[in-house]
Amino acid sequence: MMVATRRRNIVVNGDLNAVSLKEHLGALVKTSGALTALLITKEGHGIAEAGDTSYLNTTAMAALVAGMFSATREVARMVGEQQFSILLQQGETRHIHISLVTNSAMMIVIFEDYQRIGRVRHEAKKMGELVGQVLAKGTDKAKVSEELSVPEFKEYALNLIDRIFAMK
Amino acid sequence: MPHISYDNKEIAFKLVYCGPGLSGKTTNLARLHTMLAEHVRSKMISLDTAEERTLFFDFCPIEIGTIEGYRVRFNMYTVPGQIYYEASRRLILDGADGVVFVADSQRDRIDDNIISFELMQENLRSYHIDVPDFPLVLQYNKRDCAEALPIGTLEAHLHLANIDVFEAVATEGVGVMETVRCVCRRMVNRFQID
Ligand SMILES: Nc1nc2c(ncn2[C@@H]2O[C@H](COP(=O)(O)OP(=O)(O)OP(=O)(O)O)[C@@H](O)[C@H]2O)c(=O)[nH]1
Ligand SMILES: [Mg+2]
Repeated sequence: MMVATRRRNIVVNGDLNAVSLKEHLGALVKTSGALTALLITKEGHGIAEAGDTSYLNTTAMAALVAGMFSATREVARMVGEQQFSILLQQGETRHIHISLVTNSAMMIVIFEDYQRIGRVRHEAKKMGELVGQVLAKGTDKAKVSEELSVPEFKEYALNLIDRIFAMK
Repeated sequence: MPHISYDNKEIAFKLVYCGPGLSGKTTNLARLHTMLAEHVRSKMISLDTAEERTLFFDFCPIEIGTIEGYRVRFNMYTVPGQIYYEASRRLILDGADGVVFVADSQRDRIDDNIISFELMQENLRSYHIDVPDFPLVLQYNKRDCAEALPIGTLEAHLHLANIDVFEAVATEGVGVMETVRCVCRRMVNRFQID
């Protein structure tokens, strides 16, 4: 067990994929002292998450933040900007830092101590670049197709759909 | 293309309910939500006005189960139907894997249905979604109204030859499941990795 996890962390020949997105986010949570980090697509789907997510409905969070970001992007265009690359929401005890890591993905960092904002911003920028590189490689689907057969997936999924959306 | 996440072990499809203002999009989703078993649904989120008109979107994720270790989910959205909110509608249609067009069967809404459908088609095209083979289902809602539009009216006006059509009374839950089952099946049938 130990050996297997260790090996995954070793960066072989500079291959960034040896470190997963989840591990990158985990590192970001540690170095910035944040509570939670999430990576989502602009369509509102979750890609990866790290830190404490027990208090959070991450699915709804992804959908809402994606909506927020897309609305903000339109607003940016109205004032002649391509987009605002960072959104910061300051609350009473919790704060949210949202940054664009590629054209189609954003990173959400939730943190508690507002004094840490400089640290969060710095670490998010640094990690955003690494995460962006991993995403650019787009190897997710290749890895998934190793684990999942499409014809079987369809058969099971259709079965579940018929059961769950059954007429009462 | 559905979203596939290796890290989160998850496959998610995006389904959007479109249609003119007050046609019953939010009602469809709300009824669906109450009819589903507790373990598949999460809380429904509505970003709406004080008058319960959709302002940005409604959102309700439905997890149908786990296949080969991957959680399979349908993320359901409704758009705001009012013409005024065109910009928001376009944003929500981005990345849609399937669409339910909820038409209003009341006779005086025929033009609103047609305009709304055409705007939706334009938005889908702007995302390079080719409408002919896209999972798109037409629902004639409010079949309980007096002198409902005959089935076939909108298909003729909009030149929709082989579209799947359902009749519904969303307020009573009639036709809600049939509609969603059909569009979900079609999304899954198109599934491929890459
Ligand atoms: N008679 C009847 N009324 C319906 C039916 N479905 C929905 N309604 C009513 O129509 C009104 C509008 O329904 P909504 O679901 O909010 O409509 P919507 O399409 O989400 O409207 P927007 O958010 O403004 O685009 C509500 O008062 C519903 O109760 C139906 O099948 N029959
Ligand atoms: Mg609505």
